[in-house]
Amino acid sequence: MTAQALAQVLASGLLMGLIYALIAVGLSLIFGLMDVVNFAHGEFLMTAMYVAFGLVFLTSLDPVLLMPIVVAVLFGVGAVVYLGVVRFAMRAKANQGMVQIFATFGLATLLQGAAQYFLTPDYRSIGNSWLGGKTLELGGVFLPLPQIFGGLVSIAAFGGLYLLMSRTDFGKALEATREDQGAVALVGIDRNRVFTLGWGLGAALVGLAGAVLAIFYYIHPQVGATFGLIAYVTVALGGFGSVFGALVAGIIVGFVEALTAAILPPAMKSLGIYMLYLGVVFVRPSGLFGKL
Amino acid sequence: MNRRELLLGGASAMSFAAAAGFAGAVQAQAAREVVIGVIYPMSGASAQVGIDARHAFETALDIVNNDHALDLIGARGAGLSALGGAKLRLVFADHQADPQKGRAEAERLITQEKVSAIIGCYQSSVSATVSAVTERYGVPFLCADSSSPSLQRRGMKFFFRPAAQDEMFSAAMFDFFDAQKAKGKKIDTVALFFEDTIFGVDSSNVQRKLATERGYKIAADVKYRTNSPSLTAEVQQLKSADPDVLMPSSYTTDAMLLVKTTAELGYKPKNLVAQASGFSEQVTYDAVGDKLRGAITRASFSLDLAAKRPFITTVNDMFKARSTRDFNDNSSRQFMGLLLLAEAINRAGTTDGAKVRDALAATDIPGTSTIMPWARVRYGADGQNPDASPVLLQYVDGKFVTIFPTDVAIAGAIWPMNG
Repeated sequence: MTAQALAQVLASGLLMGLIYALIAVGLSLIFGLMDVVNFAHGEFLMTAMYVAFGLVFLTSLDPVLLMPIVVAVLFGVGAVVYLGVVRFAMRAKANQGMVQIFATFGLATLLQGAAQYFLTPDYRSIGNSWLGGKTLELGGVFLPLPQIFGGLVSIAAFGGLYLLMSRTDFGKALEATREDQGAVALVGIDRNRVFTLGWGLGAALVGLAGAVLAIFYYIHPQVGATFGLIAYVTVALGGFGSVFGALVAGIIVGFVEALTAAILPPAMKSLGIYMLYLGVVFVRPSGLFGKL
Repeated sequence: MNRRELLLGGASAMSFAAAAGFAGAVQAQAAREVVIGVIYPMSGASAQVGIDARHAFETALDIVNNDHALDLIGARGAGLSALGGAKLRLVFADHQADPQKGRAEAERLITQEKVSAIIGCYQSSVSATVSAVTERYGVPFLCADSSSPSLQRRGMKFFFRPAAQDEMFSAAMFDFFDAQKAKGKKIDTVALFFEDTIFGVDSSNVQRKLATERGYKIAADVKYRTNSPSLTAEVQQLKSADPDVLMPSSYTTDAMLLVKTTAELGYKPKNLVAQASGFSEQVTYDAVGDKLRGAITRASFSLDLAAKRPFITTVNDMFKARSTRDFNDNSSRQFMGLLLLAEAINRAGTTDGAKVRDALAATDIPGTSTIMPWARVRYGADGQNPDASPVLLQYVDGKFVTIFPTDVAIAGAIWPMNG
C-alpha cells in the first residue's frame, strides 16, 4: 500500500469512527444512567434518518438547517419510550433484566416493521444538501464534505455533552443518579424525571448522528441494524456508561475497521473489531474506561 | 344418560358432522385450486425486491387465472384447463435473506400448506437451502431469479431454472469485451468486486476463470462484506488498481454505497459492467443514477423487446398498475417463472410432484411466447435452460438500452462509458 493510500484509509477511518462514537454515546449514556441496554438504539438512528428525510421532503430546506428539529423530535421519542415502555419494564417483579431486554428488543422489531409498512422498504436518500457529493482533496487524500461535517458535529456534540455533564444542575443530577439511585431520592431529586430526560438526551444524540448520516447514507428500515451492532461493540470497548470511552472507542473502531479492510481481504473487515472486542472482554471486561 | 348429557352429546355429534362437512367443502375447493409456495425476502435489506416479486407473481396469477387474448403462455383460457379450470393460489413466505429461515419456510409450505411446487428465492444462498428441502420431499422447485451456477450442479431432480445463470451472463460480458477489442477499443484489465455470499463468490469464480482464459489481467480482486457501513478501503483498492472495467456483483445496498464511495474518493471507473442484482434495481438509479451514466449491466430482460412482441407492453402495464414500476431484470424473471410452472402443471394434468417434475423436464417452449429474449425454454438434465440468452443493457439518458448481443441490440455501446 502506498503512503497516500494509507493516509486515505486512516482519514476515512477517523471520520467514520467519529460518527460511530456519536451513534454509540447515547447508548452508553442510558446504560450508565440506569443499567438498561437499549436494543432499539439502531432503530432510533433509523427513525432519525426518516425524520430528516421527511422534513427535507416537506420543506425542501437543506438537511443541515433541519438538524435541530430532528434532534428535538428524537429527544421526544426517547422520553416517550422511557415513559411508555421502559418505566413499566423496570417495575417487573421477576427477571427484570430479561423484561428490559425483551421490551427494547420488541420495540426495535416494532419500529422496523412500522417503517417497512408505512414507509415501504424502498431505499431513500437526500439529494439536496449543499454538502452532498462535495469532496475536499488534500494531497491526494479525498475527504467527503458530509463526512468532515459529521466528524465536526461529533466533536462538538462531545464537547457540549462534557459541558452539560460538568457545568449544569441537570448534569450533576444525572451524575448523582448514576452514582446512587437511592440516595438521590433522599435529597429530593426526582429520579423518574432524570431518567426521562436521560432517555431524551440519549435519543437526541443518536438523532444527531442520524441527521448527519442521512446526508450521505441511504435510508432504509434496516439501516439501524447495520450501525446498531457497531454501536454495541463501541460501547463495550469504551466501557458501558463512559461518555469519553465511547469517543475513544468509536475512533478506534473506525481505524481498526479501515485498516483491517486494507490489510486483510475486505470480507474480513469486521474481524479486527471483534478481535479487539474479544481482547478487551478477556483482559479488561469493564472496557477501556468503564467502571463496571 | 340424563337430558343434559344427551344434549351435550348431540351437540358434539352435530359439530363433528358440521366439521366433516366443512372439511369436505374445503376438499372440494382444493380440487379446484393449485397451491404454489412463493419464498422471497419480504423484510430485511432486500424487502423491496420481495414486494416487487409479489406484484410480479400476482400479475402472473391474473394471467393464468383469467382469460387474456395474448400470445403468451398461460394467457388464453381461465385457470388450468387440464385440471378442470383449476385456479392457482399463491402462499407467500418471508425468508429475510436468511438461508435457514428459507429452509424452515419451505418445510412449512410443503407440510402445512401442502403446496404443489415452490418458486423462489432471489438470493442464491437461500435458493440453495430451499431446493435441498424440495428435493427431499419430491416437490418441484422453480428457481426464478437466482443466478449462481453452483445451484444446478448438485445433481438435483426437482430443480429447474428457466433463466440464465452467471456463467452464461459472464460469458456474454467477455464476448462483448472481445467484440469491443476487435473494434480496437482498449480493454486489458478488469477488477472483480463481489459480495461474500454464494451469489458474489460464484459470480467472481466464473469471471476470474473467463478473464484468465481470454487473456484479461485481473487488476484487483476484492471480496467484501455485504451490508457494510462503509466501503472506503475497498474502493481505495479499486482506485489504486484503476482497471479498464470494474465488474461488481452486489445487492442493492452495496451497489448504492459502492457508487457513492467511488464518487467521494474521486475515482471514476473507466467502465462498469455489473452482474445485475443491485444494478438492475430502479432505486439504485434513483439514488446514484447521475454517477452511473453509461454503466452496463447484464440482464434477462429488456423493455425495448416490446417493439417485437407487443404483449410485453400489455403485461408490463398490468405489472405497473400494481407496483408503480416497470418490469426489470428480477421481476420479469419472477413473472415468467410462475407462468412456466403453471404451464407444466397444466401439461402434467395433476399436482403430483413426480408428474409435474416430468412435465417440467419435458418443457419445450419457443422464446417468442415469453416476455424474455430467450431462444427457447427447455431444461437440461441439471435443470438449467441452456437457451436463456442473456443480454447486456447500457444506462443511457436515464434508461436502459440493449447493446449486446448485436442481433437484438438497439444501439451500439458507448465505450468507454464516460466517453
